[in-house]
Amino acid sequence: MSILSMCQWLQDTNIGTSIRESIWVFPIIETIHVLALSISVGLLLVSDLRLMGYIMKRRPVSEVYEQIKPWMFIGFAIMVITGIFLFWCQAVKAYNSIFFKTKVVLLVVAAINAIAFERGIYRRVDKWDNALVPPMEARVAGWASLILWAAIITCGRTMAYTF
Amino acid sequence: MPAIVPFFQWCDDTMISQAIRNSRIAFPVIENFHLFALTVLLGSLVVLVLRQFGLLYKHQPISEVAAALRPWNRWSLAVMLTSGLLLFLSEAMKCYGNTSFRIKMLFLFFALLFQFTIYNRVVKNEGTSAPVGGKIAAGVALCLWFGVGLAGRAIGFLG
Repeated sequence: MSILSMCQWLQDTNIGTSIRESIWVFPIIETIHVLALSISVGLLLVSDLRLMGYIMKRRPVSEVYEQIKPWMFIGFAIMVITGIFLFWCQAVKAYNSIFFKTKVVLLVVAAINAIAFERGIYRRVDKWDNALVPPMEARVAGWASLILWAAIITCGRTMAYTF
Repeated sequence: MPAIVPFFQWCDDTMISQAIRNSRIAFPVIENFHLFALTVLLGSLVVLVLRQFGLLYKHQPISEVAAALRPWNRWSLAVMLTSGLLLFLSEAMKCYGNTSFRIKMLFLFFALLFQFTIYNRVVKNEGTSAPVGGKIAAGVALCLWFGVGLAGRAIGFLG
């Protein structure tokens, strides 16, 4: 079974068809997706800016990062759940969209960046927790995260257009 | 109401409007910046509101969190209004007949009014915990700005 036929099967399921053909459900899911995005990426921005040394410099990095993390994850969870439903009802369109494919790749890269940061320089955070400007490796992780998310938002938004 | 139709028509006919309409990528590009700015604006507001409710950064005074976020809030608002104006110009007549757009403008008016007359002053003077009035102000600001976002999303979906 090819990926394309799996996508076709997925969007032909009862749930996929119902979401697609409903007047209200698709816009509601889509709106929740966008608003959860603005919360989770907006929160991520604050912790990334601290890593880059631009905001809340007098506060320990671990404090800024750890306290914002649970709220960020709530936002990400809502985004993933609504995102799955959005994909479900238009899987073939998504599969054929270069923007969607790019978005998935970028999401994987963003996850790798986050894990690499946690397992790498952040393990030694006690050594630079109070630094006004964190070490290079942490700053790069912050920049990479912001650039990746800007690109992910762009791909997601552009998916909706047909050129 | 119809007295302002010529104004919308004029907006629709400006050179900028035509340039945006004639370009395939101008509208999506501007809309992307609108969305980036939305992310920063709502995200920074949510951080401040969470702080006022004591759910985040309890070790920092509220006024300090507000001061740290203020430049991001201001810049995102500037990008939001500029990109929003360009998007509006490119489809002013469509916006005129769009109920969601009218609701959005109402929310935007009250959100800006509330933020610059009350909310910004409230957070400037709050210390380690927000009084009930401060929490109410936080809730009102959040509802107004999310109202802007919701109505904005509805422009494309509902008309």
